[in-house]
Parts: sequence; C-alpha cells; structure tokens
Amino acid sequence: MNILLLSLILCLSIFSLIAKDLLHAVIALSAISILSALLFTFLKAPDVAITEAAVGTGVSTIIYVWAIRHTKRKDGDK
Amino acid sequence: MRKAKLLKVFLTIIIITLATFPIIMSNVSWPTFTRDYLFVNALNETGASNTVSSIYLGYRLMDTLGETLVLFVAITGTMSILLNLHKHELESVKTQSTLVPEKRVKNALRTNLVEVVASKLGPIILLFGLYVMLFGHISPGGGFQGGVIFASAIVFLVLATDVKTKITNSHVLERIEAISFISLILITTYVIFFPEGFFSTIDIGSSFLSAGIIILLNIIIGIKVGTSIAVMIIAMMGGKHDN
Amino acid sequence: MIIERVLIFLIFITGFIGLIGVKNIIKKIIGLSLLNSSIVLLFILEASRIGDHAPILVGQEKNIVDPVPQALMLTAIVIGVCVTSLSLAMAVRLYKTTGSLDITIIKERIENES
Repeated sequence: MNILLLSLILCLSIFSLIAKDLLHAVIALSAISILSALLFTFLKAPDVAITEAAVGTGVSTIIYVWAIRHTKRKDGDK
Repeated sequence: MRKAKLLKVFLTIIIITLATFPIIMSNVSWPTFTRDYLFVNALNETGASNTVSSIYLGYRLMDTLGETLVLFVAITGTMSILLNLHKHELESVKTQSTLVPEKRVKNALRTNLVEVVASKLGPIILLFGLYVMLFGHISPGGGFQGGVIFASAIVFLVLATDVKTKITNSHVLERIEAISFISLILITTYVIFFPEGFFSTIDIGSSFLSAGIIILLNIIIGIKVGTSIAVMIIAMMGGKHDN
Repeated sequence: MIIERVLIFLIFITGFIGLIGVKNIIKKIIGLSLLNSSIVLLFILEASRIGDHAPILVGQEKNIVDPVPQALMLTAIVIGVCVTSLSLAMAVRLYKTTGSLDITIIKERIENES
C-alpha cells in the first residue's frame, strides 16, 4: 500500500513539471498533498496528516492560484 | 545544446545518488530510546494524552516560538510585496483584483452556486476549526492545525456576498492577531523566568482541563496563525480597501 | 523497505531537476515544494518502523511509533509554506517589472535596463 501511493506521487510529480498549462501543474501539486496526507494516516501519524491536508490544499494552493492569476497561465510563451 | 543539457542532468543524478547512497542502503535500526522514555513519562509530566503535542508545546516550546516568528515574518513580507504591486508595473501586464464589490456582478464565471454553498458551509468549518484547536491535547490536532482550518472558514465566508460580519473585516482580524502575538511572547517570557510553574496541571478530574498551560498555548497559537493567514488571503483577493 | 526509500529518492531527484533545469520560475518553485515534501515523507516513514500504534496514550500497554520526528516535521511543513509564499510574491514582482516568466529573458531585460 505504501509502495502504490509513493509511485502515484512520483507520477504526479513528473507530470507537474512537464505540463504546458500552469494550472494543471498546481492541481497536481494539490493532489500530491492529499495523497501524502493519506500516506501519513497509514504510517500512524495523525497530527502530520491533518497539517499536511489543511496546509497543502488550503493555503498553498490558494497562493499558487493567486500567483498564476497575476502572471501568465501558459508555459512556453515568449 | 540539448546534448550538453542532457549530460548535465545525468551528471547531477549521479552525484546526488553517490551523496545519498548511505541513507538508502543502510540497515541500522532506528533507536528506541526516546519512544521508551516518552511512553512512560509524558502523560505524568505534562498531562497531555497526545504525545506529539506534549513534545512541541511542552519539552520544546522555544522551537514553536521560533516557528511562529518565521510565519509572522513571512506573512508580513508577502503582504508588503503584494500591496505595492501596482506602483512599478509595466503597462502591458496590468491585471485587476477579483473581489472588488463593483466588479462582482459583471464577472461571468461567478454564479449563484458558489455564493450559496460557501455561505452555508462556512460556519460549519469554523466550528470544526475551533474543535480541532481546543481538543488538541487529547486527540490529533492542535493549535496550528485548528488555525489553518479557521483561516479556510474565513475564506469561505468572504466568498459569500450576503455575509458582512465583523469576522470578515480585515481591521478586526489584524487587531486580534496583534493581541494574540503579544500574549504569546508574554507567556513564553513568563515560562523562562518561572520554570517550575510551567508544567503545573489543574487536577480537576475531567479529561478536558487536565493539561494546564498547553490548552492556553493551543488557543493563542491557533488564533494567531488563523487570523494572520486570513488577513493575507483577504488582501490577495483584493478586499483590503473596502469595509 | 528499500523500494520505498528508492521511490522517495526519485521524488527528491525530480524536485531537484525541476529546481535547476526548468526555465519557468513558477515551475522552479513547484520543484522546491516537492523537495520539501519528499524529506517529510522520508522522516515519517523511518519513524513508523518501530511500533504499531499512533502516539496517543489512552492507557494501553502496546508500543507506539516514535513521536519525535512527527513533531519536527510539523515545523518543517510550516517553514515550507512560508518559503513558498515569499518566493511566489517575489516571482509576481519580477513579472510585473520585466513582463516575462522565463529566466533567460528576465536576465536579458534586466541587463539591458541597467
């Protein structure tokens, strides 16, 4: 079970650095946070799981979306 | 050009593999000394059932104070950059903020669904955040976690239009943050000068009040972190100039 | 056991390559956040090997996992979000001043201006 979740996190992290649309990369980062929170629950660490879920999807994603809103959304333009 | 970049990436991977090779291949077992000590003594010395809370609010309180200070400095720096963004920009990169009330009805993507759902879910999440903050010593949770959930609840309440209360007003939230930060500094200064009164537990018999100063620290840290993150997000959405 | 450590090491490599090899600034900051996440995963994984139960004492006689790395990782997650927030604010400021998010174009425009 740990190996399955870790390989999913690896695939999502490779996708978030290759994506052409920056909003897709940020959503992949938020999915990495939620999968990490699930993995922390399986590893018997409930405090860290609540912190990672609340911070990764609440604060961090909002800040990234604000940054994309005020800059460009597509990668690779000149 | 591509061959040189591929060679650099390959060389980086080789060097990092050599540097972290002992960590991956080591067979030394994790030492159990701290776990044995804390299993026997943590409940009697601090009164908190949650062992992680008794570590970062009991045995290592100064680290938590340093972390709160780093959070404070980061949020202050971010807000000072984001409130002065319009002074130095070029003409081709101007954007506008989304939560200014005159522009709300003209935005095509803001429908009625977001406002109705957010105004109904906001108070429930606020109550949950206060629960996680207050019961941090006997179940998983604590000050910081409850504070972040509290900030998310305030973001929900700001997204709903017909809720104009004092709790979504940014001046009120700034004053609450200042009061809680000053009281956090005062409590830890008291702890430096009177260390034997630090672990005193109130022996009432019910499990809610059995942890003494840890409950007070949870509430103060939670309020400080929650209100400061809420002020930063309200300023990001552009709502700092009204009400 | 070794496989999980190798996977975490691969996530670390991905974050590191993203930090130094990609040209967009926001993807560099995503790489920094991935580095942080991978180290938190490594510590919590190592701490969970010596016990069976979550570290909340309800009077049982069983053995719990090690609670010290969990308390350290709470601080590490907070510091990670602080670094992300400040660096994203600086990236937006760079964009407003030069008009681009590409590192090579920003370097040219700042050298041409001064």
